[in-house]
Parts: sequence; structure tokens; C-alpha cells
Amino acid sequence: MLRSSVALTILVSLLPLAALVFLGVESIGTDWRVLLSDETWRDSLFTTFYVVSVSTVLSLILGTWFARTVVKKGWHLTSTILKIPMFVPHIAAAYLFWLLFSGSGGIGWIEANERNYATVILTYIWKETPFVFLMMLGTYEQLNRSYVETAKTLQLSPLDQFKHGELPFLIKPLLDSTWILVAFISFAYEVPALLGVTYPKLLGVLAYERLSTGLYLEATEPYAVALVWTCLVGIGVFTTYFFTASVRRRIERGVRR
Amino acid sequence: MSLNVKAIRKQFGTRQILNSVDFEVQPHDIHAIVGVSGSGKSTILRIIAGLETTDGGDVLWNNKSLLNIPAHKRRVTMLSQSALLFPHLTVGENVTLATRSRSRKQAEEWLQVVRLGDRYDAEIHELSGGEQQRVSLARALAAEPELLLLDEPFTNLDPKLKVDLQRFIRDLVKELKLTAILVTHDREEAMLMADRVTLLESGEVTRTGTVEQLYDTAPGFGDFVMLEGELRPLAEVEVSETAGEPVQLMKKIYRFGQCFGEYHFEDGRSVMLSTEESFQIGMMYRIKRKEG
Amino acid sequence: MIRQVLIISLVLIPFVSLFLAIPAIEFENREAIFHSIGLIVLLSAINVWLATAFAWWLLWTESKWRYILEWLVFLPLFIPMLATLFGLYLILAEAGLIGTYIGVSLGLLVVTLPYSIRLAYNGMAVIGRPLLEQARLLPMRRRFVYVLFPLFSRTMRTIALFTTVILLSQFALIQLIGAGLIPTVTTELYQSYAGNNLSLALSNTWMLIFFPVLIYFLLSGWSRWMVRMLKGRLQ
Repeated sequence: MLRSSVALTILVSLLPLAALVFLGVESIGTDWRVLLSDETWRDSLFTTFYVVSVSTVLSLILGTWFARTVVKKGWHLTSTILKIPMFVPHIAAAYLFWLLFSGSGGIGWIEANERNYATVILTYIWKETPFVFLMMLGTYEQLNRSYVETAKTLQLSPLDQFKHGELPFLIKPLLDSTWILVAFISFAYEVPALLGVTYPKLLGVLAYERLSTGLYLEATEPYAVALVWTCLVGIGVFTTYFFTASVRRRIERGVRR
Repeated sequence: MSLNVKAIRKQFGTRQILNSVDFEVQPHDIHAIVGVSGSGKSTILRIIAGLETTDGGDVLWNNKSLLNIPAHKRRVTMLSQSALLFPHLTVGENVTLATRSRSRKQAEEWLQVVRLGDRYDAEIHELSGGEQQRVSLARALAAEPELLLLDEPFTNLDPKLKVDLQRFIRDLVKELKLTAILVTHDREEAMLMADRVTLLESGEVTRTGTVEQLYDTAPGFGDFVMLEGELRPLAEVEVSETAGEPVQLMKKIYRFGQCFGEYHFEDGRSVMLSTEESFQIGMMYRIKRKEG
Repeated sequence: MIRQVLIISLVLIPFVSLFLAIPAIEFENREAIFHSIGLIVLLSAINVWLATAFAWWLLWTESKWRYILEWLVFLPLFIPMLATLFGLYLILAEAGLIGTYIGVSLGLLVVTLPYSIRLAYNGMAVIGRPLLEQARLLPMRRRFVYVLFPLFSRTMRTIALFTTVILLSQFALIQLIGAGLIPTVTTELYQSYAGNNLSLALSNTWMLIFFPVLIYFLLSGWSRWMVRMLKGRLQ
């Protein structure tokens, strides 16, 4: 029973990898020169970079800061409430933000700010901060406070106390959260399609629309873009994990719980 | 450079941990606070270090209150049960971090002092428990403290290493003319290391004084015997028929399948020691330091 | 105190939108609701089952493949959502599963399972090996019913909840793999949004938020009842 469940899980987990292989095969016919010089794609890429980095960085900072403060001060109610947005589906969240910021009945930001993708970013921050919060909460609850206290008695400045007494233990969960968020936000359809502008569209929206409307003859293009973006994220994942491997191993071996 | 702890009170929830604790630490002394676990002794250290607040009372360093100074500006460093070396740094980097000018040279010198001069680039996990505790000491000293706090730093070490490190730290503190407070549940350790001792029982000071005063007046304080003008742990002495201070065997009792004798010195002091069964009550014997 | 109030209000402000208009109470989209409920129940069950089993295996295995397999199951978390979807679309098209309930379920399983495994694994790590080691001594059935279920019920609830939320967030996946033939509450919301019908859109949003809340309370009640019943049986 256990064995077959494990085997089934492995099979399901292999599907995304197989999916990448199929993407690769399907993008074979792509004219890469045309794709790379296509301004629509290029504008999308830059906008995507901007939206992803702002949302991810702010979510990481806020989530970590909340987790740290909640554990330190024992804010139980705040901790419970901070988890609520996680259980609101992304598109429902997007719609709530659209209503809040749209012209009719809301604050009316949406027209003025739309090219900044402010609502998209806010929706993502509202949705992902609780996710980061949850990831970091466990870390902070298990964190050995004695390291920070040692840093204090060693007369280190508050910044150095954080740098040496906390940050090293946050590397792993921060790295995990970062890439989960990037993979999730960077190439999605629902939220930016609801809230985004017509031009420049985010990469995911553009790819999905070109694929699903079937108006474009270059049907391989969206697959190629998906593949390229996956590779970019993959390179990011690989390099960051690779370059932190030695310090992470060192911490794992030397830490006292 | 004296430390005055005045009427310190601390409560956790409904539990009174410290109830108006007073004591004074003389300059360049090693002052031991002895008590069973839960007596509040570590809380006192944490308050002095600035890691815990008080509910009342004051801590004075050279007649100035420490309480409003943040921990990282008090010039008070602490050595705990666990070495707590930062695992992302090497042995040497841990020490360098603590030096005020972030100097590798100074760090290397401190590592020399704790006899680990060649381990600057070693990883934390490559060191034994005793070595880690020595690095922790070098690091604490590198921060140039005015007051060194020792929170049962020998608990997790094996007995042989423990005695070595106790002597080593005692000599070093004396050599550097530091002031130190040692918290321990082990009376023997206090006798070995400290100049003065404060006894703590459920958050209250029951007695304070020099080691000799406490040895004379506090019943059952430490299993020690005064021999040739020096305090010796009982584990380090034995009964002999040939050499040592003369004693008379007054009583023989059997415990744990072993024979013990109660010996009286000429000045009236008495001591209980493991004894051979053939020894006769009323006869004179001698007590001396164990060989080797 | 002020900081807490500020944080709490910032978290709760978006919910104000729910009350900006009166939601329409319509039940035209019954099929969509049935589909959504069906998928939620099916996928929550599969996720709980597979994730718990795999996490349990991962905790005890001494296999030399352990490390690689651990990476393999977590790797999909790092692959951009739509890239997985596009590739899956190609695979399922090859298998003739586009536009079918099975195809959609499989697609949803692929995107939810990595999160579930992670949650299950963390849940077990929190309980800790020593306690679980004791459970291993019991025979399979009693082990599960008396020890693992009560200990894991919270984690299982979280897995079901996460699965529900992720599932309800999927428009592109259901639309592409379902080929528009499997309507859910989510796909309905998109249409109502495009149609500019504020009150209909709002009622769908209410529903999207209501489903997870319902699941949460149902599962909490169920697990509390189960644990009480099991305790009764042991007395």
C-alpha cells in the first residue's frame, strides 16, 4: 500500500518534468531571432521582471518581519489574522482589490496607476506575505534565541546581532520562499489578466492569450517563451542553491538547537 | 570596578524567581553564585548581562546603574553551557567578529591564549566540546569585557576536561585581572574556582562570604577537607598509614557495599572517607593527597 | 498595540469590497458548483492520501534515492505555473484527455501535490521522530486510527484547505485542459467579471471565499468528533 502510494506520487511528480520535455520538443520550430526581437515579448519581459521583483521582495521582507515580531511579542490574534489571506483564492483576492481600487465605489486608483501594475503588486503582496509569514513562523519558533543573546553580550551592534544571530538560520527558508514565489507570480494568468493593462501584458498573460486564442500562426512561440522563462528561473534556482550550499552545510553541522 | 546587586526582584507569571537579592562582587574577584536548578541563579546573570528586565532593584557597576544600558553596550560578556559559536563562521572568524576593531591578528592572539592558535580556519563541527568552549572563551575575552559571566560553562564536558578547563579559566581570569561571576549548582566547582560565594535558595540569598568562611560555617558546604592549609576535594585525598596529617578513626559504617570511616583531626574537624575494612576504630591514621 | 491594530486592519481592509454591493443570489450555475465541490472533495482526498504516505516514507526510508526523490517531489514548486500547464496540455492532448474530468483532475493534482507533500513533511517534523517511532510499533490499522489520525488531523485539514484554495484559483488550467467543457465557480467568475455584472461577480467571490471557510469548519468538526469517538473507544 505504502509502496504503491509512493510510486504514484513519484509518477505524478515526474509529470512536470515530462511537461518540460514536451515544451522543448514543441518549441523546436520557433524562429528564435524573430522571438527575441519581438518588442511585445520584450516589453512583457521587463514588466514581468519589475512586478515579480517588487512583489517578491516586499512579501519576503513583510512576511519575515511579521513572523519575527509575532514570535517575539507573542501576538496570537495578529498571527491568526495574518494567515487569513492565504485561504482566499487568488482570483477572489484580485477581484476584491479591483473593487477596492476601481472607479465605481472604490478608491478610484485603478485608472491613474494602471501602468505601474500597482493593484497586481498589492494583490500579490496581500496574498504572498501570509505564505512567507507561515514559512518563517516555523523557523522563528524553532530559532535558538541564545545566538542573538550571545551576539548581544559580545557587544555587537543591532544590525550585526541580526546578521549573525538570525540571518544565517533564515537562509534556507528564505531561499525556498523566494523561488516558490517567483515561480508562482512570474508566469501566472489569473491575477494579472483580471487586473493588468492591455499593454504591456505580463509574460504569462501574453503567452496564455496567444496560445488559447489561436489567432497567431506562430503557435510554437508561447511554448518557447514558457521554456525560456523556466530555464531562467531554473538558472536562478541552481545558482542560488549552489552558491549557498557550503554555508548552509556548515550551519547545519555546527548549529546547536 | 565593583558590582553591586541591590534588592533585585523578578517574577515570571505568578512565580517569584528572585526575591530581593543583594550581593556585592569585589574587583578582580571570581564570585560564585551557588544554588540548585530553579533557584534563580541564571536569571541573576541574565539581568546583569541585560538579557532580562527586573521587576525592582538595581544593578550598579562602579556605582552607576546598568539597567538602562542596552546589553550590547554594557561591556559584560557571558559564557554559557553551550559554546554557541556562530555556525556560519569559522573558528577564527567567530573570535574576529568579537574584537572591537575586527582584527584577525588580535583574534589569533586570543586563540593562542586558549591554546588553539592553529585552528583559526577550522570549522565549528571539527572541534570537540571542550575546544568549542575554549573558543567561546576566547571570543568572550576578545570583546574586552569589564565583567565576565560564566553560566555553568562546564556542565556539558566530561569530568577530566572539566577540571582542566576550570583551572585554566580561573588562572586566566586572575592573570587578566578580570572580574567574573560564576553560576553553578556544583559546590565543588565553586570551591575550586571562586574567591567568594553567594548561596541562593528559591530566589533568596541565604549566605554570602569567602570560600573559607563558608567552608567553616555553612554545614555540608562542599565535600572538601582542609589539608596542608589548602582546600582539597575529597576525591583527591586518601587515608594512609605512613604519611599525612594525623587523624583518629572514630566510627565505621557500611554504605553501597563499601566501608566508610569517620576520622577526627586533632583540632576537632571531621571527615568521612572510604576506608579499608581492616582499619580499627580508635586507632590513629593519616590523611594525605592522592599520588599522581 | 497600535502596530497590531494597523497590521490587522491592513490585512482585513480588502474584505470591505465584499460589502460594496449587494450580491445576487442566483443558482443558475449549479453545474459549476457541483463540479467545484466534486473536484475539491476528490483532490483533497487524493492529496491527503498521497502526501501523507510519501512524507511518512520520506521520514523513515534509508534508500539511497531518498535525497534525489526529495528534490524530485519539491522541484515542481520551482517550475513556473503556466509552463507546467502548457507542457501538461501537450501531454494530455497526446493522451486524449483534453476536455475530460480525468484530465482536469490530473492537472490539478500536479499543481497541488508538491505543496501538500511539503505541508505533510513539515507536520511530521513538528510531531517529531521519537513520538512517531512509538507509533510504528503498532499494527498498521491501529497505528493509523489511534495515533496518526489524531496527530495529523490538523495537517490533513491544512492540506485539504490548501488544495481547495489552489484549486479555486485555477482558471487557465481548467479552461485550457478542460477545453471549456468543465465549468467551475472560478471559470464562472471570469465570465461574470467580463460581463460587467457586479452583483453576480460579487456573489461568485463570496462563494470562492465561502468554500475554504466551509471546508475548514467541516474538517475541524469532523476531526474533533473522530478524536472524541476514538478516545471513548479506548476507555
